[in-house]
Amino acid sequence: MEKTILSVKNLKTYFFTKRGIVKAVDGVDFDLLKSECLCLVGESGCGKTVTALSILGLIDTPPGRIVDGEIYYDDINLLKCPREQVRHIRGKEIAMIFQDAQSALNPVFTIGDQIAEQIKLHLGANNREAKARTVSLLEEVGIPSPEEAADYYPHQLSGGMKQRAMIAMSLSCDPQILIADEPTTAVDVTIKAQILDIFQQLKETRQMSLLFITHELGVVSEIGDRMVVMYAGKLAETATVAELLNNPKHPYTAGLIRCLPDMTQVKDRLESIPGIVPSLIDPPGGCLFHPRCDKALAICSQEEPPPVTVDGEHTVYCHLYSH
Amino acid sequence: MKHKLLEVKNLKKYYPVTGGLLSRHLGDVKAVDGVSFYIEEGEALGLVGESGCGKSTLGRVILRLEEPTEGEIIYRSTDITKLNKRGLRELRKEMQMIFQDPQSFLDPRMTVGQSIGEALLIHGMKDDKEREQRVTEILERVGLEAQHALRYPHEFSSGQRQRIGIGRALTLNPKLIIADEPVSALDVSIQAQILNLMLDLREEFGLAYLFIAHDLSVIRHVSHRVAIMYLGKIVELATKDEIFQNPLHPYTEALLSAIPDMRQKKKTRILLPGSVPSPLNPPPGCRFHTRCHRVLPVCHQEEPNLKDIGGEHLVACHLYGA
Amino acid sequence: MTSYVSRSLTRYYWERARRNRLAVGGLAFILFLILLALIGPFFTVDPTAANFEEKNMPPLGFTIEESVYDLETQQFTTKSITGMRQHPLGTDNKGRDLLAMIISGARISLLVGLFATGIAVALGTLIGTVSAYLGGWTDQILMRFTDIMMTFPFFLLFVLIVFIFGPSLLIIVLVIGLTGWTGTARLIRSETLSLRTREFVMASKALGASDSRIILAHLVPNVISLIIVIATLSIPGVILAEAALSFIGLGDPSVTSWGMVLRAGQQNLDIAWWVAVAPGIMLFLTVLAFNFMGDGLRDAFDPRSAV
Repeated sequence: MEKTILSVKNLKTYFFTKRGIVKAVDGVDFDLLKSECLCLVGESGCGKTVTALSILGLIDTPPGRIVDGEIYYDDINLLKCPREQVRHIRGKEIAMIFQDAQSALNPVFTIGDQIAEQIKLHLGANNREAKARTVSLLEEVGIPSPEEAADYYPHQLSGGMKQRAMIAMSLSCDPQILIADEPTTAVDVTIKAQILDIFQQLKETRQMSLLFITHELGVVSEIGDRMVVMYAGKLAETATVAELLNNPKHPYTAGLIRCLPDMTQVKDRLESIPGIVPSLIDPPGGCLFHPRCDKALAICSQEEPPPVTVDGEHTVYCHLYSH
Repeated sequence: MKHKLLEVKNLKKYYPVTGGLLSRHLGDVKAVDGVSFYIEEGEALGLVGESGCGKSTLGRVILRLEEPTEGEIIYRSTDITKLNKRGLRELRKEMQMIFQDPQSFLDPRMTVGQSIGEALLIHGMKDDKEREQRVTEILERVGLEAQHALRYPHEFSSGQRQRIGIGRALTLNPKLIIADEPVSALDVSIQAQILNLMLDLREEFGLAYLFIAHDLSVIRHVSHRVAIMYLGKIVELATKDEIFQNPLHPYTEALLSAIPDMRQKKKTRILLPGSVPSPLNPPPGCRFHTRCHRVLPVCHQEEPNLKDIGGEHLVACHLYGA
Repeated sequence: MTSYVSRSLTRYYWERARRNRLAVGGLAFILFLILLALIGPFFTVDPTAANFEEKNMPPLGFTIEESVYDLETQQFTTKSITGMRQHPLGTDNKGRDLLAMIISGARISLLVGLFATGIAVALGTLIGTVSAYLGGWTDQILMRFTDIMMTFPFFLLFVLIVFIFGPSLLIIVLVIGLTGWTGTARLIRSETLSLRTREFVMASKALGASDSRIILAHLVPNVISLIIVIATLSIPGVILAEAALSFIGLGDPSVTSWGMVLRAGQQNLDIAWWVAVAPGIMLFLTVLAFNFMGDGLRDAFDPRSAV
């Protein structure tokens, strides 16, 4: 049984706006084990990015605020920690890759300088050591001619290369956990394949835990060990990837899977989930998915569904299973 | 016997690059470099390629939103590259476009009704009541409501905005719609809704589509035939089934193997080394040879032509004697 | 189910602008100024009415000591003068009521500000949008023309015109307006350039819209917020320009503007400080008010500061 390296309990992050309180994350629990890849899955607005930012303390306050919950990294509650300690953990122990490589890299510094800076800051290395480490990192992520590449500016790199540079930067201090926010979403199919390959490699060679945020189920099936499905700020279902994709229990997850254009057989019409995601300021009562659910029961509009464990590690938040 | 609605012959679009003190002509970005294909009435042709291959440019040039550098675009027997201003305006009633970015393709300062009704206003429907009626008709046809005409784009979700965009394209009853990555920016469950809508509309109105995308699984769902584009040229063109079951060009193979598919565990995946070369200076010979896993010596020297190797399966590759 | 109220973009921006207290304060002051300019003249005396009996009177509530040379006794005696209710802000060295002059000045400043800025911004917007949208040679020619106008010595031109035609308010407004559009043109042009590539412009073109329709119905409305901000932030500059010109004597002598009052007050700063201080404070507050309001509007229009 692998050790739990990150434990999120009942996390609630709200944004206080003039229009009302946006409950971006409203009671989310999950555990991340050592050396595993946990995928946080959901469509836009479901709260997955906000969850990741909450873990790292990157929520803009105001207007956002973590109003409840605990985040344990190795027995330390990150939410009750002094700022200094969190800053030390962020970047060194827990690193994050953002979705848009373009804006995460500083255009006026070479990528070598940017990576070396991280190394010097967190590990206290001198210039020579930092440079050597930088080159080996660039090589690890598959950038050709890493010695020369270190002197390139971000604009001189292609999209795929920038993505790799960002991954290298996040690895610079040998983090225990890497949070990747939709790293394969904005890239071409062939680059996507390359990036997924890198992550696969990293998982194997570094024994690092990966919290992989995405909305693409195909990507999840390739790289994920376990997955957590979110909807409108709450959890819908949690299980191993194989189990959940073959045997989805929650109507939303099942609907998502059915929506995908199938590569193996052509259908006349794609199945879709009618309606749109509810407003997070004024959500419907009970289960947030009930207005779009074709299996909704009377109780669904009144009470929020409690978690139910079906089959070992497979947990569903749905009234269909709670009786 | 279906008629050819649109035929493109050897279409090129170059963007000149100037530099130096006297603005000398240094070269050209060959965004579209000799593309030929046709679309029949009511047919959907999928155009697939990665960023920088020229597919969006091709779409814009066909609509003459940008002027072609060379080549012919024949719509129903008229070469539309030679049309004057008046002819062009009439052409707008035949061909329309759906765009990619829901945050950007609607004027934020105009109501939805004004955006959809603009085409009608431009083409002479001056009567407000008449326009209002037609706008309502269209809104309902794309799955929205009449009262939405009074609202502004920022009040809608991405999926709803795309419905509005599609509605706008339909106002003039076009026969051909060029869809430039219409679902790339949408969530999966919404993608499905929009794709279904587009399929329904095609049946109802007998529309032809040029469906531009980078996602092969989406293309498979909506197209009859598929064209694969790389660095300004079409490298393979065949029926959907042929492309997916019998891909010939190495690039097509790589694209297919790159798709993360949850239903089949990927055994071997073809990883293309490096990245797409610059269209300013494409490699000599076959443009794909620098990354090709089945490259032959001749590929470094001669460019292969797009050839029909049987059953209307066209491919530009020396492996097939092109 | 929430009831839905459709909100136009304008109302949305207004609600955001409302929250900025400095901006609202600025707006309040400007409204007060407008009120003053419109109604004030009905309640005060003629600002040009000289009354030497009552010259150099201090404002209400102030008392000054004035030394007067008594011809009979051949000595300096000090006389104390106290402000009167008839002249709440005091009088200048010709006995003209300062309050009336300030009110008249408010009217002039607002008129000049409004019209000169109006001309400058309208011209700048036209040149900016056309230049950006049509591009190519049109853009080059218009921008080189803008560069030339930018370096043009507006002041020398002004002196020359005054020399030929004599000073007048109309000339001030026209010269400021016809030379002050260059900054606006540049800003509007760059905004239009970025708008031009937005997909809705392409969509409009695809529907068959003519160039003029795209410029007028799509581009201009989308730069309106920028225009409003530019105009609001230009007005103080214009008002100060007019004040400066009047101060050095090139203003229209037939109207009483703040610059003119400053000019009169400057000469007697030691014995009648209020004559210079009053217009000085008014200019300061007016400039501040427009700047606060302009900043508030700019923040309200910026989508990135939205929550």
